[in-house]
Amino acid sequence: MLKKYKFHLVLLFVLLFITLISHLFRTDLEVINIALIHLLPVILVALRGDFLLTIVVTLVTLVLFDLLYIPPLYSFDVHDIYYIWSFIIFILVGYIITWQAKKIHSNQIKEVLLNALSHDLKTPISSILGNTMILLDKEEIQDKEGLLEIKKSSEKINRLIANLLDSARLQGDFVKLRFDWCDLEDTLGVALQEFDSSSIDKIQIQIEPNIPLFWGDCTLISRLFVNLIDNALKYTEEREKIKISMYQQDKEIHIKFFNQSKVFSKEDLKNIFDKFYRLDNAADISGSGIGLSICKNIVDLHQGHIQASCEEDGLYFIIKLQILKRAFMIDKEL
Amino acid sequence: MEIKEIILVIEDDKAIAKILTAALEDSYKVIVSKSLEDAYRKFTSFNPSLILLDLGLPDGDGKEFIKRVRELGDKPIIVVSARFDEKEIVNCLDLGADDYVTKPFSIKQLQARIRSTYRRYERHMSPLDNRVVCQELSVDLVSRVVMKNETLIKLTPTEYNLLKFMIVRPNKVLTHQVILKEIWGVGYQNEMQYLRTYINSLRKKIETDTTRPKYIITESSIGYRFCCNEEEH
Repeated sequence: MLKKYKFHLVLLFVLLFITLISHLFRTDLEVINIALIHLLPVILVALRGDFLLTIVVTLVTLVLFDLLYIPPLYSFDVHDIYYIWSFIIFILVGYIITWQAKKIHSNQIKEVLLNALSHDLKTPISSILGNTMILLDKEEIQDKEGLLEIKKSSEKINRLIANLLDSARLQGDFVKLRFDWCDLEDTLGVALQEFDSSSIDKIQIQIEPNIPLFWGDCTLISRLFVNLIDNALKYTEEREKIKISMYQQDKEIHIKFFNQSKVFSKEDLKNIFDKFYRLDNAADISGSGIGLSICKNIVDLHQGHIQASCEEDGLYFIIKLQILKRAFMIDKEL
Repeated sequence: MEIKEIILVIEDDKAIAKILTAALEDSYKVIVSKSLEDAYRKFTSFNPSLILLDLGLPDGDGKEFIKRVRELGDKPIIVVSARFDEKEIVNCLDLGADDYVTKPFSIKQLQARIRSTYRRYERHMSPLDNRVVCQELSVDLVSRVVMKNETLIKLTPTEYNLLKFMIVRPNKVLTHQVILKEIWGVGYQNEMQYLRTYINSLRKKIETDTTRPKYIITESSIGYRFCCNEEEH
């Protein structure tokens, strides 16, 4: 019981304390400073993101402020219209902070929910995959095709879950990014680790030497690469090649993904990054159409640009990442 | 009869505990604990030689277990984590966990991780050789000569220190902070551009394909692992 109202007690104490301080030093402090002191409990309560509580506390603070410090003292009359403005600002500050805090709080709740969901979904998949692997290793089972199918499907589900969770995480105004210096070649290498060697053999990579480090969320950028490679693999026939190239152009790093494919219409290319948009002929190709929308999300979060274009031999995705922050040069040792 | 090493598996999900048991019982004696309380008890009574720890347990945080075990001594711990939360993993490694796998994990990979953790602990007991060999790479720790397939590789002092630090800890995940502190010193723990730059230049000298490295493996957002046996791939 006491725990529940701990915050209210603290608030009451703060109110008493500032009233005491303001009252003792009212001649030295002047009204403007006393007003600022009275803003403290308003901000404190607003950070909780509870509108009702904010309103109550703001009103109590205003009443105290008006009664004790605004002439005529000990009355609710306000002679100077100038003080009405102060009151409005009080209410406005309380409102804005509460509103922002509420958003942040709901985002934290979302994060907790997503983590729980991720745990609950991944544990059974681990069980399916693990058991399949153990069965695959058993020599007495001769027909392993069904098992391999189960394995493939669970891996697909796993990637799908990762994408759905990523997509949910990247929505909203308070996306948590973890910026760091990324070696983009390395980031691409991390993305390649997700694919089996037969898929990797289809990919040709060309990376210009001396590409500068990029200031970004390395994990997200590697998710971006995973999705683009995954997409390219889905639409590539046996024996067709996928090409990835990376080079610097002025103040931008360009990364180009290419796969051979049929010609797409302008309409298709424009909508390709929309969530759940899938190409008409893609009915038989797995995927939910969420991967590319995540790609766009990630590139946008890095203030970059992603574009799909079609040339006669196939489909290109070009990512342009602006170098906004440069790593300082490290003296080369001999 | 050969005495099997004892592995303590701390996992509250029945299905996962069963797989872990099935995957490991050929080579080890497996004991399963479903809660922290029980794990503490079994840890003292069975004296396992390795611990597999799931972080999300019904009666508390698995990190507490790492702390307690580290206070008691040097037992290898491998963390099994359901969500890929880099911060959580780095915290565990900082507390003294030896390695981690994320769900869904591959059985083969887990077995390989367990084997290399054991090997590292065994080697820890014996003094280091003057010459360390890892696949095609060899480093002479006295003369500081680095060879790859009988070809001499010229490294700068920092590159050499970096390579030496990693190659004597084969297959172990090393966090960015640990490497930075060791090679550049206290106060440099967050200077990621140093680490990225030197890993990049070291890779250019020792790797055949720098985009698909086979020695220095990146553990996204966590650190690097110097890979010394083919089975890790």
